[in-house]
Amino acid sequence: MSTPIIALRMRGITKTFPGVTALSGVNLTVEFGRIHAIVGENGAGKSTLMKILSGVYQPTSGTTEIAGNEVRMTRPADAMRLGIRMVHQELNLAPDLTVAENVFLGRMPKRWGIVDRARMVSDTRELLAKLGAPIDANSQLGDLPISQQQLVEIAKAYAAEPRIIVLDEPTSSLSEGETMALFAILRRMKAQGVAILYISHRLKEVLEIADDVTVLRDGAMVDSRPAAGITAAGMIRHMVGREVTNVFPKTPATIGAPVLQVEGLSDGRHFRNISLEARRGEILGLTGLIGAGRTELARVLFGLERPIGGRILINGKPVSIGSPADAVRNGIAYVPEDRKAMGIVPAMNIRENITLPILRRISKAGRISGSQDESLAKSYVRDLGISPPEPERRISLLSGGNQQKAVIAKWLSTKPSVLILDEPTRGVDVGAKAEIHRIVGELVAQGMAVIMISSELLEVIGVCDRVLVMRDGESVATLDRADLTEERIMALATGEAAA
Amino acid sequence: MLWSLKRFVRYRVFIILAATLIVAAFVVPGFLRLNTLALGLDRGASIGLIAIGMTVLLIARQIDLSVGSIFGLCGIISVMLQPTLGVLPAAFVGVLAGAVLGAINGLLTVVFRINSLVATLATMLAFRAIAHWLTESQPVPGTDIMLSITLSNVYLEIFTLRSILFVGLILCLHAWLTLTVAGRNLFAVGSNPEAATASGISPDFTVFLSFIFAGFLAGLAGALQSLTTNTGSPMFGSEILVVIIAAVVVGGTRIEGGKGSALGTLGGILTITALTTAMEFQSIPAYVQQVVMGSILILLVVLDRTIRPEAHARAKTSTQQKMP
Amino acid sequence: MTRPLDSKPHLVKRFRRETPLALVATRGGLILAIICVLIFGALSSPMFLTSGNFLNVLTSMSIIGIIVVGMTFVLVVGGLADLSVPATIACGAILSLALQPILGAIPAFVLAIALAGLCGLVSGVLVGYVGINPIIATLGVGTIVLGIVQSLVGGVIVYGTNPATADFVKGRILGIPVLVLIFAVVAIAGHLVLSRSFWGRWTMATGGNPVTAEASAVPVRVVRAGAFVLTGLCGGLSGALLGLTLQSARPLVGVGYEFSAITAVVVGGISISGGSGSVPRAIIGLLFVQLLTNVMVLNGVRTPDQGFVLGLLIAAAVALDLALRRRGIA
Repeated sequence: MSTPIIALRMRGITKTFPGVTALSGVNLTVEFGRIHAIVGENGAGKSTLMKILSGVYQPTSGTTEIAGNEVRMTRPADAMRLGIRMVHQELNLAPDLTVAENVFLGRMPKRWGIVDRARMVSDTRELLAKLGAPIDANSQLGDLPISQQQLVEIAKAYAAEPRIIVLDEPTSSLSEGETMALFAILRRMKAQGVAILYISHRLKEVLEIADDVTVLRDGAMVDSRPAAGITAAGMIRHMVGREVTNVFPKTPATIGAPVLQVEGLSDGRHFRNISLEARRGEILGLTGLIGAGRTELARVLFGLERPIGGRILINGKPVSIGSPADAVRNGIAYVPEDRKAMGIVPAMNIRENITLPILRRISKAGRISGSQDESLAKSYVRDLGISPPEPERRISLLSGGNQQKAVIAKWLSTKPSVLILDEPTRGVDVGAKAEIHRIVGELVAQGMAVIMISSELLEVIGVCDRVLVMRDGESVATLDRADLTEERIMALATGEAAA
Repeated sequence: MLWSLKRFVRYRVFIILAATLIVAAFVVPGFLRLNTLALGLDRGASIGLIAIGMTVLLIARQIDLSVGSIFGLCGIISVMLQPTLGVLPAAFVGVLAGAVLGAINGLLTVVFRINSLVATLATMLAFRAIAHWLTESQPVPGTDIMLSITLSNVYLEIFTLRSILFVGLILCLHAWLTLTVAGRNLFAVGSNPEAATASGISPDFTVFLSFIFAGFLAGLAGALQSLTTNTGSPMFGSEILVVIIAAVVVGGTRIEGGKGSALGTLGGILTITALTTAMEFQSIPAYVQQVVMGSILILLVVLDRTIRPEAHARAKTSTQQKMP
Repeated sequence: MTRPLDSKPHLVKRFRRETPLALVATRGGLILAIICVLIFGALSSPMFLTSGNFLNVLTSMSIIGIIVVGMTFVLVVGGLADLSVPATIACGAILSLALQPILGAIPAFVLAIALAGLCGLVSGVLVGYVGINPIIATLGVGTIVLGIVQSLVGGVIVYGTNPATADFVKGRILGIPVLVLIFAVVAIAGHLVLSRSFWGRWTMATGGNPVTAEASAVPVRVVRAGAFVLTGLCGGLSGALLGLTLQSARPLVGVGYEFSAITAVVVGGISISGGSGSVPRAIIGLLFVQLLTNVMVLNGVRTPDQGFVLGLLIAAAVALDLALRRRGIA
């Protein structure tokens, strides 16, 4: 029996969640001793695929073979036993243990139950030296900067001598030099016959390191081929090249004076020197890849985090926004990205959720005016077409789209002049999506300024009047409506400006 | 400023202990004489045994508020069973009962997923109620007064049986926490349960065993207390919770889990004991002593909370990254 | 009665929020249980159905009931429990008596309650602003406060010097005991604040989902702290009334009240995980516990056995809450 060449073969992998198909019929073949990159837009299905491969999710249908044998993985431990190791984007380490202990967590070398610390430390040192990482194996993990923690996470996966290693955006917090060191180690692992899955949206890096490239789009595999001869422009075309089937209704609105101006805003960690202006009657798109700093920018504008530099002006006057209450007072509203965690109070009904930010305004001597409370809720439920139209219904019983409309209603009740929408149509069905777009269109027609954060390029192109593209915490370009194409935006967002 | 605070937090147990010992040596004549120390150590041993279990639980991100009740109840059991079983078997059953009560706490936390603070708050009441129920709220006398004299014997000029047990166990705990795989895994579970799970360690199992261990030690302390005083009382252990948590926190163990040390707890217990001895010698009333213990607890918890802003920021970042 | 269900929002709300099973279990069940206790009490003891006995129950219920109102806010806001209640009660009882000769009865009464509120504020700041676990914070603060109050008076029992105050507190207005009236005022005020005011809505939202509440411009830290201040004030008031009634105050006068209050709230069906609950529900829980205790006392059940029964009761209530939550009902 010869050694198998095919490390991983996934056939017809489909994964559906209630209401959403995350993956449909994906085929993927990865060989031992090769680096296989998976690229795609945000939400193309990369992370779902990875979760299936690591045993977190089970596919709805389809088969997985490891080294020629069909396997069923129902728990992460199953994947680990089969020699699959993950390097997650979010760190999966114990900050109170030392670097060496983290690297060997769950399989520390021991003699009679006693940790063989000397061996553990020397092995870790050796490993870190190979990785070219200047990290002391004995230092406490929590004291290290994030980039070094990321390297420890990679070392941990590598130390387990995996057959297949999956790296999810491993370079997102690494410097150029650290990235080069990582690539060197990836090549060494490849030479040892490890199959490497490399998930990234940094196309330049993909071109440099990958042997094979698979492109995912909308949960389907659109292209899979050896990297030789592939170009960034070609990859972008595959990532975005979609027929425009859903039409976004765009209500014409007259664009007026700037309401919100941001000058040189930085938070010191996620974004730097951002300037923008949101004008009355205009939808300003804010797009970029995950980690570009869009949500963090919105959180600062809404007072959930403090900036370290720059100014925010409302109607030309500088304001200080230290809390959401300040933001509301200044006419800023924010519909958050994570609806369940930040948008709704699940145990409350629609009415109570809608009037939450304006309770002070509709109270007299501390008592909430029941009639105002009810009539406000009723009118928003009607205007936004929340279904079922029962303000007393518990919000957690609504569909995602209707919950989202209720969250928008909540913020409209504050009568904002600037409405920030963070991925407002994620996870809602097509009908609700169109309705949300219609609502947003009506709002700008009434003279509101809207900032829409979205990863979905067609949505950005269809709905926005201007688009600010962010990359790695910086604003790279502002495009006017006439210049908006998927290729253009994707090229700017990934840093492949040549396209 | 922050840096020196961090330093202080790291070495606080030495600083606090040294300061307390110096003060105690000044205010209590003969404080450093062996028999005074032996007496102090013997008194500290009782809460010390319980503190050992609490240290393990806090490292694992859990807490047991019912230890005082377990302490009292197990003492009662080991005294009440004396006439039927004999002294030593009765004590054995008492200690075992502690482990069983701990297992109940573990079950509530691990299987029923009740926050351990809430679960053990309830069992604290329940165990105490059982103690009152068994004794009709009256102290129960033991059968063998001689044993209490044996237990109070001083060996090597400084140790009683109880304090030998305490010091021995805490040294074992130190070795276990720092040297063994299981000990290191305990820290991993408290520091980041997800990471521990992802590395094949079962946080549930670890937590469950920790509760049994803590219950066992509280039972042991209770049985020894009853044998020493030749009495079981439903009031035993009703006011030791704050003192125990304070001692463990003085020792540098963090309420939020992932961090702690056995030697630190030893230091914390010695500090608390020296402090109590000094205050009693000065005839400082019990209620003022309570103020001191409560203040130590609150101050150190606030300190632990405020010097870790960067850790919180990090936790926040990672959840943000998690959002797709 | 001919209007459709939909036009009665309250009914709709109740119906939709909880399936009939949960409804029966959490509300109807409790009322049913109260009826059972009443019937059993009437059959087992001739004393039970006398007006004197009911006034006794109501009066002893009033002292705890005031605390139950505050504790309800603590549970609803997601603050688990306030263990500093014995200290605030002692603060109210001891200071309202000890300060009488110096300040006069009414200023002493007010100051005692205000100082108890201050204790609540300290716990509230530790919980709301510093972010310390409420149980640890209130345990520590309670220990400190109890010690301070005792040392202020030298650790002894304090006796009243103004019997007129005792007469007033023990007296009746329109045939209703003053204590019961005060409790009723506190309970109604607490109920209105929790159910009708913006503060109450904020409390619910903070307990239900603090992240959303914060992102909806709710000052969650103040709201959290407020629940503990309120409980401090309630403990102080309750303690002061207790002191005036007894005309003496031991330092440990309030020990056990915290658990009685938590028991009542939990038996009333208010989830310890926060986000929902009402004052009437907590008071129904309290009523049940009090009647049950009364029946046991009248039937000569020993105190330790009573404690055992109440322990079983709280365990059953928590288990029920857990079971309902697991099914996503309550």
